[in-house]
Amino acid sequence: MKNCRFATSCLLLTLAIGALLGCKKTPDSQPTVGTVSLELANMAGAKSVALDGTAYATASGETFTVSTLKYYLSNFKFTKSDGSTYAAPGEYHLVDADKASSTAFTISQVPVGDYTGVSFLVGVDSTTTKADPLSLTGDLNPANNMYWAWASGHIFLKLEGTVTSTSKPTALTCHIGGYRAPYSAIVTAAPSFNGSTLPVRADHAPAIRLSADVLKIFDGPTAASHVPLASFTEIMNPSARSVQMAQNYAAGMFSVQYIHAN
Amino acid sequence: MQPNWLPLLHQLLAHWRLAALLVLSGVVVASAGCSQVGGLALAVPGTTQPANFPAMVYGLAKNPPDAATFELGRQLFYDARLSGDGTVSCGSCHRAAAAFAHAGQRLSPGVGGHPGQRNAPALQNLRWRQGFMADGGVLGLELQALAPLTDAHEMNMPLSVALARLNADPGYRQRFAAIYGPGSIDTPQFLRALAQFTAALTSANARYDKYVRHEAGGTLTAPELRGRALFRAKCSHCHATDLFTDESFRNNGLDRTFSQDSGRARITARPTDRGRFKVPSLRNVARTTPYMHDGRFATLAAVLAHYDHGVQPSPTLDPLLHQPNGRLGIALAAPEQAELLAFLNTLTDNEFLTDSRLLPPK
Repeated sequence: MKNCRFATSCLLLTLAIGALLGCKKTPDSQPTVGTVSLELANMAGAKSVALDGTAYATASGETFTVSTLKYYLSNFKFTKSDGSTYAAPGEYHLVDADKASSTAFTISQVPVGDYTGVSFLVGVDSTTTKADPLSLTGDLNPANNMYWAWASGHIFLKLEGTVTSTSKPTALTCHIGGYRAPYSAIVTAAPSFNGSTLPVRADHAPAIRLSADVLKIFDGPTAASHVPLASFTEIMNPSARSVQMAQNYAAGMFSVQYIHAN
Repeated sequence: MQPNWLPLLHQLLAHWRLAALLVLSGVVVASAGCSQVGGLALAVPGTTQPANFPAMVYGLAKNPPDAATFELGRQLFYDARLSGDGTVSCGSCHRAAAAFAHAGQRLSPGVGGHPGQRNAPALQNLRWRQGFMADGGVLGLELQALAPLTDAHEMNMPLSVALARLNADPGYRQRFAAIYGPGSIDTPQFLRALAQFTAALTSANARYDKYVRHEAGGTLTAPELRGRALFRAKCSHCHATDLFTDESFRNNGLDRTFSQDSGRARITARPTDRGRFKVPSLRNVARTTPYMHDGRFATLAAVLAHYDHGVQPSPTLDPLLHQPNGRLGIALAAPEQAELLAFLNTLTDNEFLTDSRLLPPK
């Protein structure tokens, strides 16, 4: 008898699970999320960044070449015209000028709607950068050479090259990172949509194309924030100068080239 | 890789008598597993909580010890191929007989013979550490290995290259796959395997330990006991608990300025942290010459002399080194220094220093 009751319970349970699974598949429910594509164009002013020794000039006429350009973008937040926001969880993208596939990526599960703005961290939030190494996979893996082993944290932006406007060419080494006050380099960029709208729909994926202008790392929004290359020594740890450069690139490096509704 | 539980579940549902039997046999298997813990303790050192220690920070559950992973970590620790030019292993500068410090070396040479930037510290009781390095910059035991691995003055090895070398070695591939499953050796596997070895480096059986735990062989002489009383009165504020460190960062008056090495301030950038360094444990201190973050003192006698009359003033000097009479340091008369030295020698743990399981694999 007991045996029988047990078997009946099992059967009922199986039926209930089957019914639940079936519900998920019903075709009449409306999808409520879509995907946004992002593309990065690494620029130096009007020119595309090439890692081939081409020299680029800052606003003050100093010149430099780029051999390495890598940076993290994370914590994307999309804003609607009514002020409501959607923060995309778990998005950490390492953009590497030497790796074409890294300059385009998608963010899925964005609620449908018309968005009028976006913001993101240029870097990695402190909670994630301090996480157990087991969770540091993919773009966050310390093996990507964007990690300070001596201070347990990611390098947020790395620009290496040569200053060529000095009488003798000198190494240009900018490793910007750090999440501890007073030299936290965790900065947010919020490039304007310039009145455009990003229409997220279930059936098509709109794209944002961003320009990332490396000159703006040195050319700050004010004269006082300009970083001269002549006196530049390497930056390989958090400092007042590295925070200045982070504020510079947060303010001006990223701009929206266009938004395609697709 | 995961066992397919579904058919098993169906069987259990269909045959409840068989199910009861299976549960029973599971209990038998589980208890057999428990009895293996004794065997595990033999194979993997440092898997028990010493009665006189505080609770572990890096508990066993964070990276459950097993013999195969410990042995793999041991192999990695002593493998010089993990350095840029293949000449330096972790074990080059961290020697078992010196509690995994580098006895007699102020600054150990890294790849190319270039000296490192700080004195190689002892590696012991790392399960109880809050932060790593003299400046506390590294946040966890697993991450710690990345610092010497990638430092240009030490092993000078990008993590990606280290992983590529491991993946190119059939022996390593096989051993990692046996533990973590098939696929490439990745960052977490590498760091966790290495941490099984470094976490095992436990020193808890010095004569002092046996004395406080009332165990056989735990006898201290009268001068040693007087040294202990002095230690408790004058040193144990910082060298606290039976780990002999409070894990804090303090300026112990080595210099007036800290342009060479600002210590904790290198990480925090706070002026109030300039010249502060992690209080080191004093376990096996008689074997871990030389002393201080830069290895400036060759002997323990020189260290005690420093505290007695060598402490230098600076804005961040630890308040405990300001005496009420306005003098700096810790007043230690010559007989007191001798008794302190006698006590410090009771912290030498020969079982740990000569444990063959911690030596390079044959």
